[in-house]
Amino acid sequence: MSSHYEAPIRKPLIIGDKSYHDVTVDVARPVEGRANKQWWIAFTIALAAFLWGVGCVAYTVGTGIGTWGSNKTIGWAWDITNFVWWVGIGHAGTLISAVLLLFRQKWRMAINRSAEAMTIFSVIQAAMFPVFHMGRPWLAYWVMPIPNQFGSLWVNFNSPLLWDVFAISTYLSVSLVFWWTGLLPDFAMLRDRAITPFTKRVYSILSFGWSGRAKDWQRFEEVSLVLAGLATPLVLSVHTIVSFDFATSVIPGWHTTILPPYFVAGAIFSGFAMVNTLLIIMRKVSNLEAYITVQHIELMNIVIMITGSIVGVAYITELFIAWYSGVEYEQYAFINRATGPYWWSYWLMMTCNVISPQVMWFKKIRTSIMVSFIISIVVNVGMWFERFVIIVTSLHRDYLPSSWTMFQPTFVDAGFYIGTIGFFFVLFLLYSRSFPVIAQAEVKSIMKTSSEKYKKLHESHDNHSHSEHNHH
Amino acid sequence: MKALSKIVGLAAVFAALTSCHNKQEPNYQYFPNMYESVAYEPYVESAAFSNGKEGQLPAKGSVPRGFTPYEYANTPADYERAKAELKSPLDSTQVDLKKGEELFTIYCAICHGDKGDGKGNLAKREKFAGVPNYKDRVITEGSIFHVETYGLNMMGSHANQLSQEERWQVAHYVMKLKSEL
Repeated sequence: MSSHYEAPIRKPLIIGDKSYHDVTVDVARPVEGRANKQWWIAFTIALAAFLWGVGCVAYTVGTGIGTWGSNKTIGWAWDITNFVWWVGIGHAGTLISAVLLLFRQKWRMAINRSAEAMTIFSVIQAAMFPVFHMGRPWLAYWVMPIPNQFGSLWVNFNSPLLWDVFAISTYLSVSLVFWWTGLLPDFAMLRDRAITPFTKRVYSILSFGWSGRAKDWQRFEEVSLVLAGLATPLVLSVHTIVSFDFATSVIPGWHTTILPPYFVAGAIFSGFAMVNTLLIIMRKVSNLEAYITVQHIELMNIVIMITGSIVGVAYITELFIAWYSGVEYEQYAFINRATGPYWWSYWLMMTCNVISPQVMWFKKIRTSIMVSFIISIVVNVGMWFERFVIIVTSLHRDYLPSSWTMFQPTFVDAGFYIGTIGFFFVLFLLYSRSFPVIAQAEVKSIMKTSSEKYKKLHESHDNHSHSEHNHH
Repeated sequence: MKALSKIVGLAAVFAALTSCHNKQEPNYQYFPNMYESVAYEPYVESAAFSNGKEGQLPAKGSVPRGFTPYEYANTPADYERAKAELKSPLDSTQVDLKKGEELFTIYCAICHGDKGDGKGNLAKREKFAGVPNYKDRVITEGSIFHVETYGLNMMGSHANQLSQEERWQVAHYVMKLKSEL
């Protein structure tokens, strides 16, 4: 132990007198046990919402986009709002698993698995909007540059909507591979603990024959690091590309060079908020409070506070540039946001995104689980309105006053959105009962440096050696 | 080996799915969104018309822009009248013997022969007899136009194939052939 040094200022990341076996048991318990009544209730609600969404999508595809509230002026409304919102939520997962890995943040280990699951499930939700907001979704495969019988007619690579296709599909596949690679040792753990032949078989298939040899682990670490290195620029570029959908346009309120970093900051902001929402519930219902500690929640709150402040700076920058530009269209776009018919959505966005994260400056608040939970939901409401404000208020009043109009969503708009929320929770609830929700292999790797048990041991050992030293 | 058999199996399923096109019938279509015309296209069948045809006859006596009604009736008397008095409206600059030759080759030479000697392909193969040599007939540009328009004996009307101007070009070319026989 004497060779190890960790600053005593660091608080333990694993609370309680946990051994390696305790970690295994705690992580495996939700998978090996049976679902309780609350899980079934939550699952039923989520499934009902999902099926309602399926109905709304079927109605949209069968009847036409005219079932939505979009109109000739406002061609994009809830569809793209929800798309950007879901993509943004997905970003925190990669941030946690990739960026925090590059920065050697040990606290990521208890939350990365669920954050990545959240990424994958929310990118799946996001990916549905670009397809089903199409007038002819059955021709969606035309966005792919596939050699064909139209004289090999290809796509135009100048459109950010095409870049979206590449960005989202790459993002989903890389995230999935990254996630699954990390799952191999944990699936192997479940495989080795399996009692019934069925679960044995399932986890044998899922774990790809992981046997945990030194060479495997060495390569595993290298792959994780390489994938983290790849996923980091990816995560920044994906939301940048999403922001290009607006930033490359000529619409006042959209045509801004600040959008790429501002969208990415907003994505981290809303994504971390979603992770907080989910993990605060999960640590309680899955009895993982020893691993997802108040310190984890506090650190995520700090990230939320920082990115919330970046978003706040971006809002102010936009307002300043609008005034400074001398372009009356740009100026009007912002006057319209603040005082036009959608003033309430703008001020709701401002309140939720700029003011609410600032309460995190107070330690009492950012270490309060209840307040963190509320703020995390407030942030996601605010970030939904951010996308709504950017999209709808810029479109409904632009160059020609003769095309000024309003947007009124229909129940189908809402139904699709509710359906994706339902689908997300269906996937997440199923995940939380069949996957190891904490990367136990990683958590075990910080056991001897960062668990409460070993920290106490170090302390007493150090004191002991000190006293010995004094004795000499 | 196992993987190979799976690939072969998949290929077989794919082949089975894609090979059910019957060559006697139009092929299957994937979402024929704008394949069938909403508007009436020429020559289509349509229940909207009493005779089921898209091409309806114009009202009797109506004259479309750019068309001059032919004032001679399809009778022997008017044939004689046309032969005597009908003159080509084309002046010397508008007569295009090359075009007349092309049209003659397409529409007339199969019976009348390239030289107008009555030895066209159908006549030579004895599909039918009685195609006269222009040399043996008294014809004028007016009578030629009249016969082109209405037909005469075995010959049918060519008014639906050749416009008025084209018929005059052919008439000029026929007169040239006659002069060379």
